[in-house]
Amino acid sequence: MMTSLLSGQLLFAAAVLGALYALVGLGMNLVYGTMRLLNVAHGDLLMLGAYAAFWWFTLTALSPLLALPLVAAMGAGIGLLLYALLFRRQLAQGLPPEVIEARSLLLFFGLSVAIQNITAYAFTATPRAYRHLDTVWQVGQTAMTGNRIAALAVAGVILAGVLVFLRRTTFGMEIQALIQHREAARIVGIDVGRVQAVAIALGFASAAVAGALLSMTEQVTPFMGFRFTIAAFVVVILGGLGNIRGGILAGFLLAIIEIYAVTLFSSEARSILIYGAFVAILVLRPQGLLGRARR
Amino acid sequence: MLRRHLLAALAGTAALAGLAAPALANDPVRIGYTIARTGLFAAAAPSQEQAYTLWAEQVNAAGGLDVAGTMRPVEFVSYDDESDPAKAAQLYERLITSDNVDLLMAPWGTPHHLNVAGVVERYGFPMVGNTAASVLIREVQPGNIWFPTSAIPDRIGPELAAMLAGAGVQRVAILANVLPFSQENLQFLTPALEAAGIEIAMSENYPPDISDMTPLLTQVRDAAPDAVLALTYPADAFLYAGQARELGIDPRLTFMLIGPTIDAFGQAFGPAADGIVTLAHWSPEQAAWPRARPFFDAYVARFGQAPDYLDSALAYMSAEILQQAVATAGLDRDALRAAIAGGTFDTINGEVRFDGVQNAVTPTAFVQRQAGVMQLVWPPAIATAPLAMD
Repeated sequence: MMTSLLSGQLLFAAAVLGALYALVGLGMNLVYGTMRLLNVAHGDLLMLGAYAAFWWFTLTALSPLLALPLVAAMGAGIGLLLYALLFRRQLAQGLPPEVIEARSLLLFFGLSVAIQNITAYAFTATPRAYRHLDTVWQVGQTAMTGNRIAALAVAGVILAGVLVFLRRTTFGMEIQALIQHREAARIVGIDVGRVQAVAIALGFASAAVAGALLSMTEQVTPFMGFRFTIAAFVVVILGGLGNIRGGILAGFLLAIIEIYAVTLFSSEARSILIYGAFVAILVLRPQGLLGRARR
Repeated sequence: MLRRHLLAALAGTAALAGLAAPALANDPVRIGYTIARTGLFAAAAPSQEQAYTLWAEQVNAAGGLDVAGTMRPVEFVSYDDESDPAKAAQLYERLITSDNVDLLMAPWGTPHHLNVAGVVERYGFPMVGNTAASVLIREVQPGNIWFPTSAIPDRIGPELAAMLAGAGVQRVAILANVLPFSQENLQFLTPALEAAGIEIAMSENYPPDISDMTPLLTQVRDAAPDAVLALTYPADAFLYAGQARELGIDPRLTFMLIGPTIDAFGQAFGPAADGIVTLAHWSPEQAAWPRARPFFDAYVARFGQAPDYLDSALAYMSAEILQQAVATAGLDRDALRAAIAGGTFDTINGEVRFDGVQNAVTPTAFVQRQAGVMQLVWPPAIATAPLAMD
């Protein structure tokens, strides 16, 4: 059992799963952190990205990895459209955060239902799948399927890229400022509208890209998104709402629990272990792993 | 909520419009059903609804449904039951009492069938079931519902054990989803394997929302079984197949409960899907069933994908049975009930005859993908190819 716990195989599994959870949480954190919008349609953006990758591969026979910039652009475009049509005015009204959160919950819920049903109507609910990068690479005792390596690599690059962007660029710091304190950011002269637009574009783009990566290994259906919306919520709450670094940490932590704790106990205990850890951490730190305690 | 109903209504209208019937003089026969167009089962339901659509189009193209001598076009009245069995029951009541449909066809799924069985019994309205598979159907009062499937867990267990024993399998590993159908199968499989003298090296359950099976599969690999019996649902079937391949788990035989009969499964795994045994009692390869191949070809031509070897076949069979019963008995419910209960039907799955609620003819069977083609491999009486072991 001990040697099995130290195996590269489990490490690889935890890395891939963690990167995915972190990526899914990232998008939700960007949108919530900057605008206090609870994106219940997050998983459905992921689903749209998965369909985009599926149709790209089916119609062009080219790697969906090549289509990632397009998929990201699609996600960003949807985000910007929603921002311009629905949210910009809401946010500019200066309503208290609780009101914005409540309204956004309803808006995104309606959006989620609409996206799912339109997709089901357009493509039928029949599951779709395709085969790509399914060669299995062996490194020592660790076997890795090509599409999972690709998912890990792409997700890893995006996560690293976003962290660098937030820390090193002015725009990234503006996003962080907006997340930290909305009014102060405005006073300091940050163009709040522009930063919000970029945040929602990035958030939706990352969801769509996550979906495209997942489409290589999972079946694609119009209703596949809900599971990832839940996962995203768990990740962002655990990491601290709106805390980007916390979300990434939480994503990997959950994956570690899911892989290693399950190895120690049993697969059946998966939900108890994950949600048990979730509840335990929140009892000890209600603001999440890296969240700031409420004043 | 309103948006959802609007979209469902739009979809329903489009479906009706799609049945572009040639100009026929007589009033249409209105057939009612609900199906899970949204919700948990929405990904599985198209395999059934598409079979219904194909059947109706074929009937109308051939001049209409033969109603005891009179040819009349077929028209569907359908609703989205949102994967909710209680809602399905309500909607069927509406179909019977408010929409006044002439005939009924079944919804998707075991819990839906069981709920609707109560409704059709109350109104004395005969309905041929299809995609229901649980020992619970044996407890349904015979009367107004029938189940053509032979994939019932208390038969699957013993038949699978017999097939494995016959193939010389001595040691198995079992992975089971905690969802009802998998657990019901596990309940009957375990004693059957023990009775056949097959060693169960490991038997583990996993939750339906599992995201990574690596810990489970390293256990399987260490157990070194001759055969792996993965009692999966579609989502985890994909996960299992991909990750088992990654970890190099390649036993002499792999059985997966639900998943490999879906077209997308073959698309996802290609040649790696070959050799996997799964649950189905129909294949277009069976030359003794002349209707089988034409159905397969027509479905592929119409929808651009293979039918689900279990659900689509069952749905189409139930339509054929209804069609043949109506041809002799017309639309009178008592006559129809007697015709279905006592008749012998010629379907894409060969002959079907009911004994109470159950199909007395079709055996519990398994299929195996061989070179991309789904072959019946058990029982020997209807097999189209021998079981291929690694």
